[in-house]
Amino acid sequence: MPDTDIRWYILFQNYEQGLALRDLLCQHDLKNRIAPAPRAIQGELSCGMSLLIEDEDMEAVLQCITQNRGEYHSIRPLAGQMHAHRDRYC
Amino acid sequence: MANYVEMWKDLGMDLENHDMLCQVLPTAVGDVFLTQENRPKAMDFWDLVISEVHGIRPAELIEAQKEGRKVFGTFCVYVPDEVVIAANGIVTGLCGGSQFWIPDGETVLPKATCPLIKASVGARLGRTCPFFRIADMYVGETTCDGKKKAYEILGEDVPMYVMDLPQMKRPKDIVKWKEEIADFAKKVEEVTGNEITPEKLNEAIHIINERRKAMARVYECRKSLCLPISGRDALLMTQISFFDDPVRCAQMCNRLADELEQRIRDGVSVVPADTKRILVTGTPLAVPNWKLHNIIETSGAAVVCEEMCTGTRYFTNLVDETKTTLDEQFMALSERYMKTNCACFTPNTGRIEDILELVKEYKVDGVIDCSLKFCCLYDTEKRSVSTALKEAGVPVLSLETDYADTDAEQLRTRIGAFIEMLNA
Repeated sequence: MPDTDIRWYILFQNYEQGLALRDLLCQHDLKNRIAPAPRAIQGELSCGMSLLIEDEDMEAVLQCITQNRGEYHSIRPLAGQMHAHRDRYC
Repeated sequence: MANYVEMWKDLGMDLENHDMLCQVLPTAVGDVFLTQENRPKAMDFWDLVISEVHGIRPAELIEAQKEGRKVFGTFCVYVPDEVVIAANGIVTGLCGGSQFWIPDGETVLPKATCPLIKASVGARLGRTCPFFRIADMYVGETTCDGKKKAYEILGEDVPMYVMDLPQMKRPKDIVKWKEEIADFAKKVEEVTGNEITPEKLNEAIHIINERRKAMARVYECRKSLCLPISGRDALLMTQISFFDDPVRCAQMCNRLADELEQRIRDGVSVVPADTKRILVTGTPLAVPNWKLHNIIETSGAAVVCEEMCTGTRYFTNLVDETKTTLDEQFMALSERYMKTNCACFTPNTGRIEDILELVKEYKVDGVIDCSLKFCCLYDTEKRSVSTALKEAGVPVLSLETDYADTDAEQLRTRIGAFIEMLNA
C-alpha cells in the first residue's frame, strides 16, 4: 500500500545543529529519527540531515523545542515519503 | 559549518546533475531503511552518514589534504589499506553503486560492461561524486578485464596506480603479491612524502585488524536465531566502512555490536522467529545498491550474511601483528589478503568451502547467488556454487541483475517464489 501518512521533517543549517536538537529530543524521550532531507523541501540548504517526526509526536516535539529554545531552520510536513515496495533505488 | 555547495563547486562538480542524485537518495533511504521497525539505536550513526554522504566525510578529507595528507581511492578488498595508513595517507572506497552514474560511464565504456565499473567511471567523468574528485590517486588492481580497461581510461583523467594481483594461489603467487605490496609501498611513500617504517606499518596493521574484529562482532550477532539487526542495516554498515576513518569505524561497529549482543540477551529480534534466513553471495553491493536486500527483506525473509566483498571477505582473517621487519610484514599482508576467495582466481574452491561453512554458522535456510550483469567470473561460478549447495541439501537461487529499477518486479517474483518454497 502506498504511504499516505504525514510526517514532519525538521531541517537544519548544518548537521551540528541537527545533532544538538536530536540530543535535546532524546533527553526528553521524544521519538525522532535521522533522515536525509527530501530534496523537495530542502531549498538552498546544503545540509542533508533532517529529523523525522511522526505526526502523533509532533505536538510534544514542538513544545519541547519552544520550551528549550531548540535551534532549527524550518519544519515541513510531507506525505508519501516511505514505501518499502516502491522499488525506486538510487 | 561546512558549506557543501561551495565545497562541491571547489571540487569542480557538476552541481546541476549532482542535484538530481540528491533528489533520489532521500527517497531510497526512506523506503529501504526508515520503513523498518525496531532498528538498533546505534544505526543512528550510519543514518547520519548516509544523510550527509556527500558532505561530512568529503569535508573531513579536504581538511586532511590541507594538512598535507594524501587520499587514495581504491576499488577492491585486495588493496592493503595498511600500507597507505602507515604513510599517514587516507583510504576511501570508490566503487560506484548507483544507476545514476551509468550513463556517464557508458560514454566511454561498452554497454556490455558490469554496472559497478560503468558507475565508477561515470562518477569520475560526470563529476557528480565528491569522493571521486577528492582522491589524489586511484589504486586499481587486475581482478577483472573490465576493471583493467576502465583503469586505463581513468588514468587519462587522474593519477592511477594498478596492482597486479596474481590469479592463482600457489606459494610463488603469494610471494608475487608480497612484491606487489612492497612496490605499492614505494609508490605510497613517493606520493605522501612519508617513509613507511616497521613501527608505522605495525600500527596500521593493528588499526585495520581492530576494524576487522569490530565488524566481525556485528556479523557474529547475525548468527543468532534471535536476529538483532536486518540485513539492510548490516549492509549499510559494511558499505560505509569503506569510506570512513578506520578507527571511528571500529568504534561505531563495536558500539553497534554492544547493542546487538544486549538485544540477543533480551530476546529482541527484528523479525518473527520463523523468518527464513538467507545468505547472499556473489558480486559486491557498493553503496547505494540496496535493491537485492530490500526485495528479499520485504518479501518475508531476512538476510543474515553476505559472502561477498561488501561482506565477510572484507573482514575475515587478520594480519599477523608479530612481524618486525618490512619484508616480514609485507609477507604477512600478502598471506592474509591472498586468503580472500574471489572468482578472479583459478581454482577458487575456497569460496565454495567458505559458503558451505557460512551456511552452517549463520543457520541459513537458503542461498541467493547474485551477480551483476556482465560479470563473467561470478556468473560462471554459479554452476559450482549451485552444485555444491545442492549436494549439501541447501536450496539456492541464482540471479543476475544490475543497478536499474526495471527488473525489480521480476526479482520480486523470483525471490518471492524462492521464499515461498523455503516456507513450504
